[in-house]
Amino acid sequence: MRRPQKSCPFCEGRVRWVDYKDDRTLGRFITDQGKILPSRLSGTCARHQRQLSTAIKRARYLAIIPYLKGHTA
Amino acid sequence: MTRNYEAVYIFDSTLEDAAINEKLGRFHGLLGTTEQPEVTHWGRRQLAYYIGRRENGYYVVSRFNIDPTVLPEYERAWKLDDGVVRYLITLHEHEVGAPPMSEEELAAQAARRDDDDDDED
Repeated sequence: MRRPQKSCPFCEGRVRWVDYKDDRTLGRFITDQGKILPSRLSGTCARHQRQLSTAIKRARYLAIIPYLKGHTA
Repeated sequence: MTRNYEAVYIFDSTLEDAAINEKLGRFHGLLGTTEQPEVTHWGRRQLAYYIGRRENGYYVVSRFNIDPTVLPEYERAWKLDDGVVRYLITLHEHEVGAPPMSEEELAAQAARRDDDDDDED
């Protein structure tokens, strides 16, 4: 069965390109553990989901967002 | 041919501001461009996780327009510097700073998506 279409939050905000430096926006698309939220749950369109996953990986490398939340070294 | 790049540098937060500016000036000199890179200082902020024993870092974002052949030597200089915790240089040719999408562009994108969905059925 086809799931109902959710609207893409980035398209609604008319975002052309997801910025890897914007931790507040990226924070909305990661789970409590720090995993990337699937588009099935966030409603993100394929194009923005691809940009989002790259942006989250870049932000993790730059220690802007954590790889794993709730973990202390 | 020159291309637009954006770089984010994380300096050791124990470095003095003057030392950071001196390093930036020295490295930007390696780019060999006449126009000055556009530099934004984020300042000291907490890292999302420990890098070594460091808890904080001094973030700087810079944008420049250079020939890609200059880049390996530039990156090597950053890699060898002990005061730099991490750096990331990315192409900045997308539309991060572009104005929001217009109604027409949005409609065109939605139409494309609908077409794709039809193909799936």
